[in-house]
Amino acid sequence: MINLFHSRDLLREWTSRNIRARYQQSVLGWFWAIIQPTAQVAIYTIVFTMVVRIDTENIPYVIFSYIAMVPWTLLATSLTDMSNSLVDNMTLVNKIYFPREILPIAALLARLMDFGVAALLIIVLMAIYKVSVFPLGLLFLPVILLIQLFLILGIGLATAAANVFIRDIRSIIVLGLQLWFYASPIIYPVSAVPENLRPYYYLNPMNGIIEAYRDVLLRSHLPGSYLVPAAVISVVLFIVGYWFFKRVEFQFADIV
Amino acid sequence: MKRVISFENVSKKYKLGIARTSLPSLVAQGVKKAFRPSAVKAPGNDVLWALKDVSFDLEKGQSMALVGSNGAGKTTTLKLLANITKPTSGRIETSGKLSALIELGAGFHPDLTGRENIYLNGSILGLKRHEIHGRFEEIVEFSELGRFIDTPVKRYSSGMIVRLGFAVASCIEPEILLVDEVLAVGDASFRQKSLKRIQSLIHAGTSILFVSHNLYMVQAVCQKALYLKKGQVQLWDDTKKVIEAYEHDLHAERASKFAGSALDLGGTETGLEITKVEILGVNGERPERFMSNQPAQIRVHYNAYQDMGRVSMSIFVIRSDGLTCFMLRTKLDKFNLVVERGVGTVLVDLEPLQLITGTYFIEAWFLDEADSIGLTPMGGRSDWFTVKGSARSYEESSGVYEPIGRWSHQHSDMIAANESQSKTTPPVSVESRQAE
Repeated sequence: MINLFHSRDLLREWTSRNIRARYQQSVLGWFWAIIQPTAQVAIYTIVFTMVVRIDTENIPYVIFSYIAMVPWTLLATSLTDMSNSLVDNMTLVNKIYFPREILPIAALLARLMDFGVAALLIIVLMAIYKVSVFPLGLLFLPVILLIQLFLILGIGLATAAANVFIRDIRSIIVLGLQLWFYASPIIYPVSAVPENLRPYYYLNPMNGIIEAYRDVLLRSHLPGSYLVPAAVISVVLFIVGYWFFKRVEFQFADIV
Repeated sequence: MKRVISFENVSKKYKLGIARTSLPSLVAQGVKKAFRPSAVKAPGNDVLWALKDVSFDLEKGQSMALVGSNGAGKTTTLKLLANITKPTSGRIETSGKLSALIELGAGFHPDLTGRENIYLNGSILGLKRHEIHGRFEEIVEFSELGRFIDTPVKRYSSGMIVRLGFAVASCIEPEILLVDEVLAVGDASFRQKSLKRIQSLIHAGTSILFVSHNLYMVQAVCQKALYLKKGQVQLWDDTKKVIEAYEHDLHAERASKFAGSALDLGGTETGLEITKVEILGVNGERPERFMSNQPAQIRVHYNAYQDMGRVSMSIFVIRSDGLTCFMLRTKLDKFNLVVERGVGTVLVDLEPLQLITGTYFIEAWFLDEADSIGLTPMGGRSDWFTVKGSARSYEESSGVYEPIGRWSHQHSDMIAANESQSKTTPPVSVESRQAE
């Protein structure tokens, strides 16, 4: 971590490299950050308001799902990028020394930019649907985001390192994200989950995180105790993931 | 003197085969094991010692070379020094900023421009943004990219990429610089420029560790050399002694390889084989050392098992670092070579030899009349031979060959004479000819 502070210039360069490389020769550029979650929300809105009706506690479905889709997209895209960040740059890892965690962390930061852009639409949607703003809740936003970042960093660092040794990780991430998507209350409310399963349900830290975003932004009340397991699990995953990464980082170059 | 590198009893072990483990292969192995336990090797037992008990140290401002054939452990040594990987046992200490010219342009992103890549690559190498900013002009100038600096790197030629990579990596002014074979690329003038840059870094007090197959460059730059063989130190001494030993080994190795394959040349297939290639001195004998200014004769002996008709022959004279110094071709010289069944010798006289001080060998090939298809499965190869040029040592001579130069000197006492004048009054010519 001290290393990381010394390498902040590199972190910035590498993050901007990721962003620029992604949008180079792309006509829509930054708009993709909004298009992706919006398109998905559009599909689910059609399905769940016209085909199968789903009860979202008087919250319009569009904003109900978009507010979860944006943090989910951050998690899904950054985990995909992070897990490939070392493998895709093996020539560099094999040739030059620099703090290895720069690569996955820069991949996350680049996606965080997309998240910021996509989040702007939340403000627009809140204005359109006249959702009342809950100032005390806004103070919680950075805390919720921080918990989510710990979660992403923990899993992302571990999978980035593991992917160097076992390429199956790449496929496992894709599959795992699909399952995780349906195991999280993104397109349906938590109330749709059977009562007796709820305690286990909150073992998925993404549930606590998404519920917290909804409580604070849409329901005008503070996050409940469900955020505690999410925070604890995320921080533990971060510590384990980072420890694993540091433990194996000098073996990266030995794997050809 | 301050020590900048100390390498103490370093060993590095690589496990072979373990990276290839996959579930299907594990299952297959399990099945095999059930039936014939003896046939299965336990995974992870294949071990390669890339380095074994290697020690050396380098003082500030000193430069050393790492020589050895492929697989000797040179790259592993560099990787250990660059902190890319850790030793299995032993201790490595480096002091001061270290920079590695290992793979130039490794950090470049093809979609980004040269300018963006300078910042990116510089920061990978450990420079702060403002430091890169301060050196930006210098980097651009050195890389000779000029107006291409805002073009995406993917449109660059490989030469441009190497120039940019070198410019960024060498602007760091490190205390230790690791150079791995990078100067083998790029055109001759850039190579010269890079070498100058490296020499100026040495003057500024940078210690350099050089890996190169180009023994000439190594001798020009380094005081000491480490000769590695199969991961172990063969010799750690002055560059001159090490290179002598290394060249000697190379020679022996290549000679034995050639002797082995010469037996099964398969001459009967094509009906022609080269039995011997040799070079002889003035009196038809092989001297200890050939003299640059003396004649020499190349002889290629062959066996022809059938009439071959008109053929052509190509002869290469190759320096110990692999550089082809010149080639001789019957086709170009319009020499009519007809080979009939029997034994024969093709002779080429070189008057004089003209090579500079160094070690060389000769390779000869028979080709068809059109000079395109080889008639012998492999070329004939001579023993190594050494040449004594007019210079006393490597340092005094550079280049490849020594033509006989006739010196002269023209002089005029008129400075900035205008054109009409210089046309009517030719400058006084003082000419002196020096015969060989």
